[in-house]
Amino acid sequence: MLVFAASDKGGTGRSVTSANLAYQRALTGDHVAYVDFDFGSPTAAAVFDVPGAMRGTEERGLHSYLEGEVTEPARIDVWRQTEHPLLRARPNQSGRLVLFPGDVGGGEFATDEDALERCVDLLLQLNGEFDLIVVDLSAGRSYAVDLVLAATAHPRMRYVPFRWLVFHRWTRQHVIAASGLVHKENGILKGGVDRGHDEETLQGAIRFVRAAVPDPESPLWLHGSPAQAAWMQACDEALRRLAAEHRIGDSVVLGIVPLEPILQWREQLITEEDVLSTQIANKETLEALEEIARRLTDDSHWGRP
Amino acid sequence: MTEAVFRETSAEPRTQAVPLSHLSLELGHFYMEDFEAGPAHLRQHFDRVRPWVEAARTVAVDQAGGKRPRISTCFLIDDYFARFSSPAELVPLLLAEADRAGLVIDYLARESGCAVTGKVPVAEAVAGRIVEEPPPGSYGIRPPAAQTGWLANGERSPTARAPQAMKRAAAWQPPTETAARRHSVFLDVELWSDGPDGRRTWSCPFLAAVWQLARLGLLRNRGEAVLSPHPHPHPHPDADSEFPEDWDELPTLVRLNPRADPFAAYRTCSVLPNRFLPVEHAVRVILDQVEVDPEALHQVAERSARESVAVPDSVADRVSYLFYAGT
Amino acid sequence: MGPEETAARAVLACGEVRTCLLPAGQALDSRAAAQLLRLRADERVLVSERPNLYGRSPDTLTGVDCPLPSSNGARVRAVGTVAARAALTEGRVLQTSAYFRVPATGPDHRRPWGHYLVRPGVVEPFGKLPREAVAQGLLDGGGLGELDVGLIAGGLLTRLLRHPLLDQRPPLRSRPTRLRWVALPTQHGDGPSIERFTVAEDELRTVRLRVPEGTRSAEIAGLCDDLALHDWLLTTVVHILDGIRLGPGTPRARPLPGPAEGRPTVVQALRPAVDHLLHLWMPRARVSRELAPLWTALEEQPGFTRQWQALVQRIRDQLTLHAIPPASREVEPSP
Repeated sequence: MLVFAASDKGGTGRSVTSANLAYQRALTGDHVAYVDFDFGSPTAAAVFDVPGAMRGTEERGLHSYLEGEVTEPARIDVWRQTEHPLLRARPNQSGRLVLFPGDVGGGEFATDEDALERCVDLLLQLNGEFDLIVVDLSAGRSYAVDLVLAATAHPRMRYVPFRWLVFHRWTRQHVIAASGLVHKENGILKGGVDRGHDEETLQGAIRFVRAAVPDPESPLWLHGSPAQAAWMQACDEALRRLAAEHRIGDSVVLGIVPLEPILQWREQLITEEDVLSTQIANKETLEALEEIARRLTDDSHWGRP
Repeated sequence: MTEAVFRETSAEPRTQAVPLSHLSLELGHFYMEDFEAGPAHLRQHFDRVRPWVEAARTVAVDQAGGKRPRISTCFLIDDYFARFSSPAELVPLLLAEADRAGLVIDYLARESGCAVTGKVPVAEAVAGRIVEEPPPGSYGIRPPAAQTGWLANGERSPTARAPQAMKRAAAWQPPTETAARRHSVFLDVELWSDGPDGRRTWSCPFLAAVWQLARLGLLRNRGEAVLSPHPHPHPHPDADSEFPEDWDELPTLVRLNPRADPFAAYRTCSVLPNRFLPVEHAVRVILDQVEVDPEALHQVAERSARESVAVPDSVADRVSYLFYAGT
Repeated sequence: MGPEETAARAVLACGEVRTCLLPAGQALDSRAAAQLLRLRADERVLVSERPNLYGRSPDTLTGVDCPLPSSNGARVRAVGTVAARAALTEGRVLQTSAYFRVPATGPDHRRPWGHYLVRPGVVEPFGKLPREAVAQGLLDGGGLGELDVGLIAGGLLTRLLRHPLLDQRPPLRSRPTRLRWVALPTQHGDGPSIERFTVAEDELRTVRLRVPEGTRSAEIAGLCDDLALHDWLLTTVVHILDGIRLGPGTPRARPLPGPAEGRPTVVQALRPAVDHLLHLWMPRARVSRELAPLWTALEEQPGFTRQWQALVQRIRDQLTLHAIPPASREVEPSP
């Protein structure tokens, strides 16, 4: 199963959240690949805390692979090569977690027919090897989005299942932008149809993840004034209506990630340790991530709403 | 190999051998427009060819170690790119003009046969045997400049691809000939083009390279010889001509002279007008990069060694030309 | 005198084999296999049905001109061609194998390309070959820009995997493996031997061989294809057994939200191995008689077939156990 992580704007926590989803699935025993197609800003190595392993892979990442400079992209075994002390002790019964990094210093590039064929080669190879492949895509209407839309419409990929997660923050602008990325001109749906996708099927494979959502019910805000609580409630209501009007209402939401300082600032994987021992992360955040990770392959959350 | 008691025939390659002359001498390569120019053009051609034929024979005697060399002559008619008239009309004319110049054409070939003979896709097979000459620095990765349908004798200029964002585009670099001596004579040869209907048209130099391989006895299809000569068919008593009305009914390679030496030879020589110079340069670039059937190559090496005839290792070096002034 | 002997005598042979599961829902029959492996329009695909179904493509060549890797930093430029071919076993396991041999010395300048083309699979060094250093360098894998025979095997694999015959629906998850080998001549007329067989990384194995002088490199490649095939089978079946959870799982500090994720059952996980892999074990099926004894060493240590039989037995036991309805089991099946 391929999962594409997209967002219209930066700052949605798309990379760090999708990395957490990959990590959660590996914990449950799946073999997981995390593929960094954020061509303009390839930073997944930091999320998985593998900066040392990146040495020597500068010119062998996904940029070089797709441009034909190398025939096999560098891969980093996260359990083995991470510098994160907790991750290094690979939990028993967990699956493989392998990062495919971009070139260090790589930039956005125009993709051509050869890059598309190589992209299909790679995704097929990973599909034969991993249970779940999370592909993190550059924000906006990017070459990366274009490339995977074309790749998944390629005849060689006809039997490979894929799903899209569109990340957005819980603000007016982000809601409108996320809807635009999917539904508007040159968006994922129209672009996908142009490349040979069936609109209805493609739409059934797209779900939204609301990120950095302040939960008015959360203990975090318990000590606020009643006026503050009422205002938050009203804003939340208004945003829900806006989302529904823009066809990204609750029925197409796969999950909600609460506002979480550790995701915003540390931008790393949240472990059980962070919740139980050091208590720097909220239990709700971890549970939300676990739940979204589970729903990725739970068919009852997918299909035409 | 292991001596095995159990054998499966489909698992064991066999390669057919072909008889070989010392020299295959090509007396001309005519396009339909050459025939359209009329018998005078043919006459002029053979008049100019004749002295060079004598020279080629003298050299062949030397190379055969003083023995009587086996020499066969051939003539190639292009019926691939355009068609004109019929064999019934043109071939007798051709033979008469050759005879007039004192020349004998042993074998007559149609260029279409170099593309496909019977059911054998000859050109496609040769295309599949191209092994590109590696420019220095080739360590196993496919050269990024590889262009399907084209073959060069060196490295092309890097294509102007859009660089990654905020990276600088590479400056222009000249192409280089890999075997250059100080300065390059870079040549990029079009091997084929694909029409809008998906039909592939092989280029003239590519078919000419196939033609050279045929004359060197180095073409095989699954071990069987291809482009083998057919005896000249006995004409129907009622027919107006010895030759058919349709080019497709003429075998791709006909033995006109029943006493001719074998068609294929250790070496080839072609006597052609100057205008063939670029084509034959391209032929050399192609031949230089075709890996011929190793078993066929081995058979030639073994036979020539037995006869004490020196044959160059490199296939392209077995080919020679004599160019005369004119068109 | 075969075509191979016309070249200068080789003192070093090297190659790399890529082995992977054919990404197709059904194994290919012999006709489809021949179609897949038809790399050249004019050459036969070797198809054999005894003792198992096996197809092998004709050799293709790739030109190289680059330094050879060496363990002591010596820079030896070499020019020539690397041979590569593909093989399909039982329509199920696809292998590509690239190999070449190197003579002890070569000219100190590059010759016309035609010279190399009539010596298929030979890479000639400039000057004298520092054999030991290059052999070790090749096994260790070279730096960027040095001869990489694995790239050539990988390139051929990529080409084959794009074939329209393949529906890209592999019946089980598996990883491709690489086996890199070098062969040096034996001394004093000794028989062939395996000096070292190393499982270097997850996917990489290296083999160092001694073979009698004059052994054809295609035969050595054939032996190494066979080793790679069986090593891949072991690796793949071990991974399948690793991936199944037996008995109740380890309890987590916090229960997972929602219903327990539907992990594949033991039967679902093991079934593809039975359907697609267990019948493939057949060491030495196509190894030349001279090189076949090399298997004996591996059978003694680490005991390839012994391990395979243990794995097969374990799979059969598990399937038998799980065929019993849970109610009549006294305890949960565990390792």
